[in-house]
Amino acid sequence: MTATSPTPRKKYDLNFARWVYENVDGGDRMAKCMQCGTCSGSCPIGDQMDYGPRKLFMMIRAGMKEAVLTSNTIWNCVSCYNCVVRCPRQVPVTYILHDLAALAVKEGYAEAKTADNARFAKAFWWSAQKWGRTDERLVTMKYYFSTGIGDGIKKGMANQKIAMAMVKTKRMHLTMPHKVKGTKELQAILAKAHEIEERGNNGQ
Amino acid sequence: MSERKTGVYLCSGCGIGEAVAMDELETVAVKEFKAPHCAQHAMLCGEEGVETIRADLAEGKVNQLVIGACSPRVMTDRFQFDNAQVIRANLRELVSWSHAPGDEDTQAAAADYVRMAITQASKTTAPEPWIEGEYSQRIMVVGGGSTGLMAAREAAEAGHEVLLVERSDRLGGHARGYAKVIPHRPPYRDPQPNDIEALIAAVENDPLITVKTNCHVTKTSGMPGKFQVELANGAGPSNETVGAIVVATGWRPYDPSKLGHLGYGVSPDVVTNVELEKILAAGQPKRPSNGQAPKAVAFIQCAGSRDPDHLPYCSSVCCASSIKQALQLVEADPECSTYIVYDELRTPGVAEEFYRSAQAKGVIFLKGKVKSVGANLTVVVDDALIGEEVPLEGLDMVVLATGMVPNTTIPDLPYENSEYAAAQLQADINPLSPIPVAGYQGEAPAPLPRPADNPPPGAPILNLQYRQGPHIPMLADGFSDSHYICFPYETRRTGIYTCGPVRRPMDMGEAAEDAAGAVMKAVQVVRNAAKGASVHPRSGDLSFPRIGYNTCTKCRRCTVECPFGAIDEDEKEYPVVNPTRCRRCGTCMGACPVRTISFDNYSVEMISSMIKAVEVPDEFEEKPRVLILACENDAYPALDMAGINRHTYSPHVRVIPVRCLGSVSLVWISTALESGYDGIVLMGCKPGDDYQCHFVKGSAMAKERMGKIADTLKSMALETERVAQMEVSIAESHKIGPMIDDYMATIDRIGLSPLKGF
Repeated sequence: MTATSPTPRKKYDLNFARWVYENVDGGDRMAKCMQCGTCSGSCPIGDQMDYGPRKLFMMIRAGMKEAVLTSNTIWNCVSCYNCVVRCPRQVPVTYILHDLAALAVKEGYAEAKTADNARFAKAFWWSAQKWGRTDERLVTMKYYFSTGIGDGIKKGMANQKIAMAMVKTKRMHLTMPHKVKGTKELQAILAKAHEIEERGNNGQ
Repeated sequence: MSERKTGVYLCSGCGIGEAVAMDELETVAVKEFKAPHCAQHAMLCGEEGVETIRADLAEGKVNQLVIGACSPRVMTDRFQFDNAQVIRANLRELVSWSHAPGDEDTQAAAADYVRMAITQASKTTAPEPWIEGEYSQRIMVVGGGSTGLMAAREAAEAGHEVLLVERSDRLGGHARGYAKVIPHRPPYRDPQPNDIEALIAAVENDPLITVKTNCHVTKTSGMPGKFQVELANGAGPSNETVGAIVVATGWRPYDPSKLGHLGYGVSPDVVTNVELEKILAAGQPKRPSNGQAPKAVAFIQCAGSRDPDHLPYCSSVCCASSIKQALQLVEADPECSTYIVYDELRTPGVAEEFYRSAQAKGVIFLKGKVKSVGANLTVVVDDALIGEEVPLEGLDMVVLATGMVPNTTIPDLPYENSEYAAAQLQADINPLSPIPVAGYQGEAPAPLPRPADNPPPGAPILNLQYRQGPHIPMLADGFSDSHYICFPYETRRTGIYTCGPVRRPMDMGEAAEDAAGAVMKAVQVVRNAAKGASVHPRSGDLSFPRIGYNTCTKCRRCTVECPFGAIDEDEKEYPVVNPTRCRRCGTCMGACPVRTISFDNYSVEMISSMIKAVEVPDEFEEKPRVLILACENDAYPALDMAGINRHTYSPHVRVIPVRCLGSVSLVWISTALESGYDGIVLMGCKPGDDYQCHFVKGSAMAKERMGKIADTLKSMALETERVAQMEVSIAESHKIGPMIDDYMATIDRIGLSPLKGF
């Protein structure tokens, strides 16, 4: 991705759409979206999205950058790939949504709305890169407390019963977090991947 | 024919022998009808069977054949013999394949079909074709645009001389001004180079083609093979003889001055697609207002099309042409933003590939209705895709995608006899409008209200000197009428074929194919006319209507009702048949109240005798008899298909194929009722606005005429249900059984005819 995406000055200013076509993973195919709505109709959690993928893509063309990047659509995708399989124009909808989510984080739109899913994704990633595994207890905790201590305690108490049941059935443990062998190497791999990504975005 | 010697040949193959007793059929032929020769064979269509018949013909034993075997629609090549007329009795599809084998009713049906065929043989003669004088093989093409040029070239390539008439001063029409055209060659992704100049050169250099520019047709008389055409150009009138006419007069753009609501006229930068075409042809695109390169352009689709206040129809090419123009703008300047505002984007067939390609190149497609176009070129769209009203600001140009208006007349040429012509057009436009002829009982039905009751302005293209008026029949929208399903180039005037956008909106690729199709038809008609043979759907038929002038009452029904305008009136108002205009449907024969019109091999008397040849059971047998007069184009094939699929139905029906329901004479109905039939069914095509009749008006005529006999039936104390009309398309063989059985149930309910035994 080039540094930042341009911000349209009026409706259907195509600068943002063209930037997305060129820079977002799968954006070149998004240009071929014919607005049939098969993606939105196939989405199992479409009713939990601000806009379905079809409308989101048209909003990109219409230059509604802020509405697109602050929408929960890009975070609520569960990667079931129904839309990708069904799209008659072979638009990789899932990739596009995930990459738009990354863009939203990068350009500060996710924070601005304090997007719930963005906070969960951060907690998840924190655990994954630290231990190479997700630790249910710590990921949940980090996510619960990401909106403040009082809020965290409230959420924790509300789900206490489920937590105890999970401990009892050994779905959650209370000891040290499990990790993969060689977390140092994993972190080195991730660091390298980040470096490559940055390099790629500098036009190489 | 000297002495009629009818040989009856009965085939027992394909299950006929198992279903009916062949010997009993032979008895019918030999004992009842005293046939001079009768033979049975296990497979008549085989080499041996055909050889037997050939030997008998050579020996002079027989000179006319009745073949009781399969349907007359199959094995026609096997049962075709020089100098011998063949009559077929359908014992397979109509009898052994659709009724229970070995049953006495099945046997009775087979015997009746043999009786009818032998009777038919005694009432028919081999047709003598009408051939008189010289026939021209030359084809006139009217219109020198891309369609007309293609037509001229196709005709010349088929070896025919061509007369190409163009009204303007040069060839090429609209297409001459196009830099690029909608692709019609693979991969269909980019605007295609326009090869019109090469086509013009090819036509101008073709020794078979004579080009006349600045020229139009002022009068057309005669008939296929013998059209007399009067042309006018600056030098004065000239006369030409041609064999067939291809009309490719094309289209004109819809008048944009009526599109003020879409901003036409508010700014020089609001242009039509036709005007943009000129800008694109001039080189680098420039805004009309200041000559700068446009950076943002919106196309408004359906500008005046699919709009009840303007053109009610879809002009079909504007979507693809806007895509083409947008791609041309993007090609000239990749930074140029192009928006296509559509209601429904219509890119059928390979044009879908073109649409995809435009999307990939960044053309933005916006679905929604245009609310307003401001003087500053702000287009407000009720955007259906993002669900809000969106102003498109900062546009440099707005393009209105206007539609096509067909040139079915010469709009700028005044025409004197317009009242008569308008009346004729009105009747043509509206198939249900009253038929202006005296004689039928009661009032004609009121015409349906139609959107375009105003005929198009101007002079007729060909100014036909026909009894039925100067125009080529046209539809409510102004396009020339054609039989969309079966014969797209037909105009209801034999030997005159329309192609290209005068027939329906289409692009140049489609028009080229259309031109080839129409020329093929024209070639057929000039070649068939010279042989005295009919063209489709009765291709090769040599018979033609003969009028007995001694009994003709000059009632004019035949001249008015002929669907093809084949019959004119002479100065004493007697009908005059133009045989090569005729399609041999027999609508005139059905119309004639004094039954004085007949064909050599098809006449009122022939069918009446066949109806009377059937043995109708008396009132004590309690077996009904129903006559089905089946249209040979759709209903009869459907009956055959029902047999092939082994759909069974009541064996109490007897089927007689007719050329068209339009040829059904009311005498046949009364003959059948007098003979004791319990019901009569007219089985044919769908009449009305979306007709399927091969002869356009035939089934509508039958419906009209049958509507009048209800009163007659009542006055005879007969139930009106005794005469019914059924609509069957060729694909509806599965409906045949239930339809017939339902009707038989009706007959059961109303009881047998009281006229039996009188």
